[in-house]
Amino acid sequence: MKELIFYIFLYIVFCLLQFSFGKYLNICGIFPNFILILIVYLGLSKRTINAQILGFLLGLTWDVFSPNVFGVRAIMFASMGYFTGLLGKNFDRDKISTQCVVVLFSNIIYWLGFNFTYYILPNGGSHTSFTFITLQGTMRLIVTVIIAPMVFYILDFLIDYMGRET
Amino acid sequence: MYQNQKSKHETIIFVIFLLIGLSFIIGRFTASVSLIKNFIYHIAYPNLNAANFIFRSVGNFADNLKAVTYLRQENIAYKQKNQELSDKLRNYELMSQEYKSLLNLLKLKSIPNTMSVFAKISVRETSEWYQWLIIDKGSDDGLYNDLPVAMFNKDENTLCAVGRIIETHKSSAKVVLITNPIYALPVEIKGKDINCLAEGFDSNLLKITYIAHGSDVNPGDELVVSELSSVFQKDMPVGVIKDVMDESSLDFKVATAEVFFEAHTLYDAVILVPKPETK
Repeated sequence: MKELIFYIFLYIVFCLLQFSFGKYLNICGIFPNFILILIVYLGLSKRTINAQILGFLLGLTWDVFSPNVFGVRAIMFASMGYFTGLLGKNFDRDKISTQCVVVLFSNIIYWLGFNFTYYILPNGGSHTSFTFITLQGTMRLIVTVIIAPMVFYILDFLIDYMGRET
Repeated sequence: MYQNQKSKHETIIFVIFLLIGLSFIIGRFTASVSLIKNFIYHIAYPNLNAANFIFRSVGNFADNLKAVTYLRQENIAYKQKNQELSDKLRNYELMSQEYKSLLNLLKLKSIPNTMSVFAKISVRETSEWYQWLIIDKGSDDGLYNDLPVAMFNKDENTLCAVGRIIETHKSSAKVVLITNPIYALPVEIKGKDINCLAEGFDSNLLKITYIAHGSDVNPGDELVVSELSSVFQKDMPVGVIKDVMDESSLDFKVATAEVFFEAHTLYDAVILVPKPETK
């Protein structure tokens, strides 16, 4: 029950952080992808099922607010939770370099997958080309990677505080 | 075994999510998917909107707090400015008064063969208020004993009798007032040519003696210095008759007169110094 409340809390906090506060906290439209960081964190923490569920729900919520194809982000975040959970067994999660590298690759895969979906889907909600790389997108990726260790640390602290360290 | 089972569960859940997601993508134009999308939207949006409102309110509150702080600082600055202006206004009023006073002095009729020395009253003992005072000018300013001391009457634009210097020091002089009981000043009723003597009474009143019986002296008559005075110039105003006591048993009538110099607060005195005779 406690775990469920904790994940609902995480869901609400990250929804607010990504959809509501981003409007005020972004710098020239550059704002990190906190949801991706959370999913990677949960995947690396061997909470693959939780990462998948939370990823799917957060992705679905994002899709609801986005005018893009409904369900794309849900699949992307659920996949991210699953694959980082599988790969996480081979990594030392506590190392900052590991956190950064995994978040970087996850972000690239997220970006590629997202664009690929739009590329193959007829009448996709976006006209973005598959190979289109923007400076803003690149900056967003870099900021996400830079901020990831900090989010990992806060989440570690929160989980320790809740007595949920397994 | 446990790990394998866990991995199996993870994969099953992943496949389920993948299928749900794909069904959402494939059926994104169908009514049922739109219904699910709208349903989630209607649940999620009010909460996000409320959070947004709270965040914006916090921002507004911070802005208001900043504005209050700024206004407070501005208010302090204005108060300081106001204080400075008040001080300047006070100085202006003082200067204006001094200017008026000096302007009146310019209008003063000059007394022939005399030089006016203006002095401030530096000491006036309250227990001997009507007896003496000390002025801030002395022998260094050309003063000496027995010089007449007068006061400038702003209303009448004239000089009225105050007293006589009895002690002169380097930068101060002691003045005996005409209201001092030891002082007697020959006076006359203005316009009636009635000579009499004004004696100090240790109050703002003078005792007027030696008024001949049958002479027409009434309250309100003005007293001026007579030509018999060796100190003051003739016709210098002294006071005004307040009361006349006509007792037949006495050879002379007695009256009381109020001195002019007490009508106004006495801050300044004018000492009339005779000019040295030029050959």
